[in-house]
Amino acid sequence: MKLTNRYEQTSCRLQVEGLPDLSAGQGDQTIGILTGFSLDLAGHTELAGQREHLQAMVAAVLPYARQLLSGVPRCCGADSDPVAIRPHAGRHQLELRSSQPDTPPLALQLDDAELADLVRCLDQLRLDPRLALPFEQPPLQPLRRRELRHRQPLAQRIAAPLVGVGVLLLSAVVSALLPLQRPAPAPAANPAAVSSPQRGG
Amino acid sequence: MADAPSHPQRPLPRRGIERLDLMLLCAEALDLNGGEAMVWLSEEMGFTDLLPNRVELWKRRCSNPLRRTTRRDLPTPAESDALIRICNALADRLYPMLRSLLSTAEPPQLSAQRWQLFEGRLAELLRERFNLRRGGVQRLLDPEQGPSLSRELIQALAFSAGPGGFERLKASLMDPVV
Repeated sequence: MKLTNRYEQTSCRLQVEGLPDLSAGQGDQTIGILTGFSLDLAGHTELAGQREHLQAMVAAVLPYARQLLSGVPRCCGADSDPVAIRPHAGRHQLELRSSQPDTPPLALQLDDAELADLVRCLDQLRLDPRLALPFEQPPLQPLRRRELRHRQPLAQRIAAPLVGVGVLLLSAVVSALLPLQRPAPAPAANPAAVSSPQRGG
Repeated sequence: MADAPSHPQRPLPRRGIERLDLMLLCAEALDLNGGEAMVWLSEEMGFTDLLPNRVELWKRRCSNPLRRTTRRDLPTPAESDALIRICNALADRLYPMLRSLLSTAEPPQLSAQRWQLFEGRLAELLRERFNLRRGGVQRLLDPEQGPSLSRELIQALAFSAGPGGFERLKASLMDPVV
């Protein structure tokens, strides 16, 4: 018996179809074998694909959303992957490559609201207990310092070290220009004081 | 509700608390009953042991160094998790509003009015509760820089909503300071 699960948001409707994998001991309401999915992105297009396409979408879009939350969105998904997403002119360009030959890749420009809808649908899919499919994505961890570095403009980043080095140089120059205090001449030796110690009686 | 992430429990850094508190403030600017909603959500989600009343909730938020009244101690990991979960639930509740602010499909005039209303309320709350001598607050109130910073906060709230939002937001709040 074919099962269908739907996940909906304002501009996004994801529908997955599949069968329970009874040989793996799954319940009859759990999709263990995904036979296909359809994704309707309102105002853009309606897509259909297989399990690997859906897994590639989860693997690209959710890490991108994670980076976006840190303010440093970067391209997720390689050129050879079926799905990639990258920032483009203030929007998010979702690139879809068909596995069928002679089909040009499709590039969709999503705004923040449309991407947020897609992310919510994919989150619902990934965490749905009625679905027993592995959705690989890198663990959600803090980004590394070097990944966050370009959040600040270069001028702001190097301003503090430059000012520090400048102040150090300036203080070195100023201290070099200051006249050194000559040591006071040693008092002339007083032979009388040395040669004729007085002895108390 | 999403499961807690597997990485070890560490307290949220000061910068993370600052951002979380600003996101909660944005939720209050969007919803006039946002403060009440936070207390109600805290009770609803079973955080009465960690945040028993509005004063305790306010004290945890006062670890934000940009506040007029700040506290030096940081919330424990359990307390900051509770605050993140409350933020996640608030973002979920306000999602239609967040979406309408971020959508380019909305009529530009209506969108501009919504942004103006939100930014006005946020500025009022900032002037009322935050230390206006701090650079971070001045940037938020600056007519040039403020709108883009407010938009970043609204965008962060939108991507923190939903079932996977807690883990995503927590990971981003743990980012190191650059």
